[in-house]
Amino acid sequence: MADEKKMGERTKAASDFIKGDTDSAVFLGNPHIDNLMTIVIAMGAEIWSDRQRMRIVEHLLSTKGKVTTEMIEQYVPTNEQKAAWAAERDAMAKRVYSVMARDTSGAKPFGEERKFN
Amino acid sequence: MMDRRTLVGVGAALTTAVSSFFGGRKAEAKAKDMAYPKGTMQPRGHVERLERFANLSLESRQDFLMSFRTWANGDLGRTANARADEILKSKGIPKDNQLSQAEAIELLKDDPIIAMSTRGWCSAQQLMWSGLKEEFEGNADRYLSEMEAADKMGPGKLELNANLKLPDYVKHEIHIQPGGYVGSEFAGHMYHYGTNAFYTGRNFNDELHVGSANNMPIPKDGKVMRILDVGCGIGQLALALKERFPNAEVWGIDVGGPMVRYAHLRSVERGLDVNFSQRLGEDTQFPDNYFDIVTSYIMFHEVSPEGTAAQVKEAMRIVRPGGIYYPLDFKLNGAPRRTAYGMYRGWMDHRWNNEVWTQKFRTNGLPDMIRKAGFDLNEKEPELLRGFGILNATKPA
Repeated sequence: MADEKKMGERTKAASDFIKGDTDSAVFLGNPHIDNLMTIVIAMGAEIWSDRQRMRIVEHLLSTKGKVTTEMIEQYVPTNEQKAAWAAERDAMAKRVYSVMARDTSGAKPFGEERKFN
Repeated sequence: MMDRRTLVGVGAALTTAVSSFFGGRKAEAKAKDMAYPKGTMQPRGHVERLERFANLSLESRQDFLMSFRTWANGDLGRTANARADEILKSKGIPKDNQLSQAEAIELLKDDPIIAMSTRGWCSAQQLMWSGLKEEFEGNADRYLSEMEAADKMGPGKLELNANLKLPDYVKHEIHIQPGGYVGSEFAGHMYHYGTNAFYTGRNFNDELHVGSANNMPIPKDGKVMRILDVGCGIGQLALALKERFPNAEVWGIDVGGPMVRYAHLRSVERGLDVNFSQRLGEDTQFPDNYFDIVTSYIMFHEVSPEGTAAQVKEAMRIVRPGGIYYPLDFKLNGAPRRTAYGMYRGWMDHRWNNEVWTQKFRTNGLPDMIRKAGFDLNEKEPELLRGFGILNATKPA
């Protein structure tokens, strides 16, 4: 949160607003399942964040022989790296989340016995 | 392009130099120390025109959320759309049957894939905003210092109006942006970075705004001395218009003080002489017949019907005879008929993306309002943005 004391001394431009209620939306029948979905997407973002950092560390070590936090943060990827990392990122999203699109029209109830001939 | 940390030093030095000839450099150093305590990371440069996020972790997380959004709108969206078709078929409803929106929602809302698609979109949107809010509000000192420094600088001017009485319709958290356009000091920052996800990578150079500016029609007499962008947000179209018409006096007005403040920051960064002011589109305060071109960029679908009528009337007052009025927005006439899934998504956008006024925008008859206000309306050309509505109005000479 913002530092209220410092904010009080500042030039302000914001005013009152009408809060939305999307935080209370339930699309999956149970708010905790909705929460889990949010967690799963957030975890994907965290994993990608670490993976991208690792790519930069690997690159710096192989080209400069050393690495510092500043070097990592300041690193500007080449156009080739940008394209390669974007492809890797998009492939990861597809690989991890594609199960969401699986056909559930034939879903079986938990208690249903399987029938054999 | 100037980086924002430099602005802090320059702004402080300029202020102090007025009272003390030798005080400028000291003030510059002091202001920088306050805004960026020792150990603060150096600026990370720009991606095209957009300043990079303050740290790699935030940049990567936002990048991933954009990727997820693209996948969810693509593969998952297509699967959800196909599911909607299957559901209609299973109920014996022809695909071209014009269901009501309520019927479409009732039919589709409980399907697991469609619900998962909705949840995925919503979660990504919420995570994107919460990450931005945490960054900008959590580092308020830095970002406020940058804006305060730019407030005092030109070439264009900034007018904030703390006493402006805002109509309620502008106070909503449109797109579920925290605080909306008026309620957070960092509304402009959040909007700029947040819409990057919406534009999926076509926002680093204001691409759509530049394209719109370049396609903007001009009055028949060729005279373009003054231009106004109403509801200018963070000033992307206004700045693009200034680039196309460098000799024109260009204004951007918006009800959101934080939005015009950020717009001004961007104009200072880029050295463009555009004036930004916190004003109402219904009451612009400009003289009659003042502008050669009045425009707006995808604004009216976020305006109430009453606000829309009042703004069109005001546009008629301030456009000069022979001048152009072009409010760019979603297509109204000639838009394809919406499928059941399209109506479901429309509701999702209205209700859960908090696009409070979009549904009414589709039925409030904006083209007729423009004609009734006295403009000659051309709905055939030119198209500013592919797939968007054409409302090229001229005030009779």
